[in-house]
Amino acid sequence: MFAQQNPPPQPMTDEKYGTAQVIMALPPAKLVEILKDPGGSPYAKAKACQRLAVTGGPEAVPALAALLADPQLSHYARTGLDQIPGPAADEALRAALRTLQGRLLAGVIHSVARRRDSAAIPALARLQHDTDPAVAKAAYAALAAIRPPL
Amino acid sequence: MALNNPSRRSLLRAPMIIPASALGLNGQTAPSNRVTLGGLGIGGRGARVLTSFLAQSDVQFLAICDVRNERRETVKSMADQKYGNRDCAMYSDQEELWARKDIDAVLIATGDRWHTLLSILTARAGKDIYCEKPCSMTIAESRALADTMQRLGRVYQAGTQRRNGANFIHAYELARSGKLGKLRTVHAEAGPGNRWPPATTHAWLPGQPEPSKQVTDWDRWLGPAPWRPCHPSYVQGRWRGYFDFHGGGILEWGSHTLDLCQWVAGADATAPVEYEPKGMGADTPYSIRCRYADGVELMLRDSGFLGLGSCHIRYEGESGWVETADGGRIAVSDNLRSEVRDTPKEQAAEATTNHVRDFVDCVKSRRLPRANALAACQTHIACHAAYIAFQLGRTLRFDPATDTFRNDEQANRMRSRTMRDPWSL
Repeated sequence: MFAQQNPPPQPMTDEKYGTAQVIMALPPAKLVEILKDPGGSPYAKAKACQRLAVTGGPEAVPALAALLADPQLSHYARTGLDQIPGPAADEALRAALRTLQGRLLAGVIHSVARRRDSAAIPALARLQHDTDPAVAKAAYAALAAIRPPL
Repeated sequence: MALNNPSRRSLLRAPMIIPASALGLNGQTAPSNRVTLGGLGIGGRGARVLTSFLAQSDVQFLAICDVRNERRETVKSMADQKYGNRDCAMYSDQEELWARKDIDAVLIATGDRWHTLLSILTARAGKDIYCEKPCSMTIAESRALADTMQRLGRVYQAGTQRRNGANFIHAYELARSGKLGKLRTVHAEAGPGNRWPPATTHAWLPGQPEPSKQVTDWDRWLGPAPWRPCHPSYVQGRWRGYFDFHGGGILEWGSHTLDLCQWVAGADATAPVEYEPKGMGADTPYSIRCRYADGVELMLRDSGFLGLGSCHIRYEGESGWVETADGGRIAVSDNLRSEVRDTPKEQAAEATTNHVRDFVDCVKSRRLPRANALAACQTHIACHAAYIAFQLGRTLRFDPATDTFRNDEQANRMRSRTMRDPWSL
C-alpha cells in the first residue's frame, strides 16, 4: 500500500470561522451567514457549501446561487444546489443559464441535467448551438439526460 | 467486422505479406493476437501493475499520458527499456491517447478522483479498461461505471487482484464448496490502524505557488474534484485522507476485502441491506455490522484478526471457518485442517500478475474478468454505504435494487458528488 511516513503539513484554519471541522458542524442558518459574509474566505465558504449539500434546505438557495458566478466557488455552490430538493434550486440554476458563460455555464448545465429539470429544455435547446464547444456539448448531453430514450 | 470501421486487430487478421517475426514465427506473438495498451496516470502502484503487463509476451505498451512530466518520463523509460526502442509515446492530454486507434486497452492508475470518469470516457473511446482501485468515489459513480461497461460492451477489470490470489481463491472454494456449512458471517479487514483510519478530513493545506503546466498541470491534477489551493504534498502522493480526493480507509481496504466477502457470499450483483456502525471514537476500534437480504452478516472491522498479514478476510459457516490474508497463510477450524495448506509466499505474491493475465485473456475472448464492472460496482456501493453510515453514526437501511437508503434523506444526499466543471459523467 501507500506509506505515509512523515507527519503531513498543518491544515489551514480560517481566522474568523476556524477549522473545516468546526465550520461543518454549524447549523444551516450559520452556514448561510458565512456565504453572505463579504469578508468570508473562499475556504470558509467552500466548506459551508459542502455541508449545505447534506443539511441545507430551500432557505440556502439564494446564498448558494449568488456564488455561481465566482470562478473559485461556482462548483462548490453547485455542490450545495445539486442536493437541495425542490423547485427553488431548479429555478436558481435555470436563471444562471442566462447569465453565465464558458466553463461555469457548462458546469451549471451539468447540474440542470443531473436534476432532470425539464423546464430547462428550451434554454438547453438554444445552448446546444452555442459557439463554445464545451457549452454546446454539455447542453446536448443534458437534453439527452433529461429526455431519455423511450 | 464493420468494413467501414475495421478494428486494428481485425484488420491484422486479414491476408497480407508481412515479415515472419510479425507472424509470431520467431518466438514473437503475432500482432493480431497482441493486446496493445496505453496508460493513464501511472505512479507507484500503477508501475507495479505495469510491470506485470510488460511481462506478458502478448501485450505491447504503446503510450503514457500523465499530468506530471517526471512520471511520463519514468513510464516511457520502463517501456522503452523493455522493448529496446524509443517508441513509447508521451501525452499530457488524455484525448490524444484516446485518439490512438492502435490502442486496444488502457491501464488507469491515477488518483481515485479520476477513476470512474476516466474509465467511462475510455470506454466511450472504444477501449477496454484495467483500473486501479478504489474504482469510484460515490454510489452514483459506481452504478454509472457498471451501466456504461454493460451498455458499451467493454471489458473492465478492477484492480482488486486478490480475486486472483491463490490463498484467497482457496478460502473462497472452501466456503463455496460447502465445507464450512451454511455461510453465516463474513469478515473484512477495513480501515486498519492509524495509517488507514475510516474517517477523511475536509481540511485544506495552505496554498503554495502552482508549478508550470509542463511540470504538473494542477487543474488537470484536480480533474473533477473541487478546486483548492495547490500544495505539493497532494501531488507527491499525500492526497489520501482528504474527503475531496479519497473515500477513506473503509473504501481503501474494503475495495479488496469487502470485495472478497461479496464474492464468497454470492453477492456480486447486490449489496448488504443494513449497515450498523459501532465504536466511533478516534481511539477505539470501529466496526460496521452489515446484513445481506438472505441473512448472512458482513463484519467490517479493523482489529481482532489472527495477524496473518494485511487484508484479512474470514469466512464463518455453521460447521467451520477459514481466515487468510496477504502472504499466503491460511488458518481454519480444527475440522478442516486436512483440507488446507498455506500458499507459498512467492505464489501468493503473483496475484497481480494473475489478475493482469485474466484481463488480457478476457480482452481477447470478450469474457467477463473476475473483477468485472458489476462486481466492482456492488463492492464499491457497499463500501460507500458503510462509510456513509460511519459518517452519520447511525444504522442505515439500503435498497440494492434502487441504490437508495430507506427513509434517510441525508444519507441519500451523500450518494453522489458534483463534479467540477467542465467534467461530468
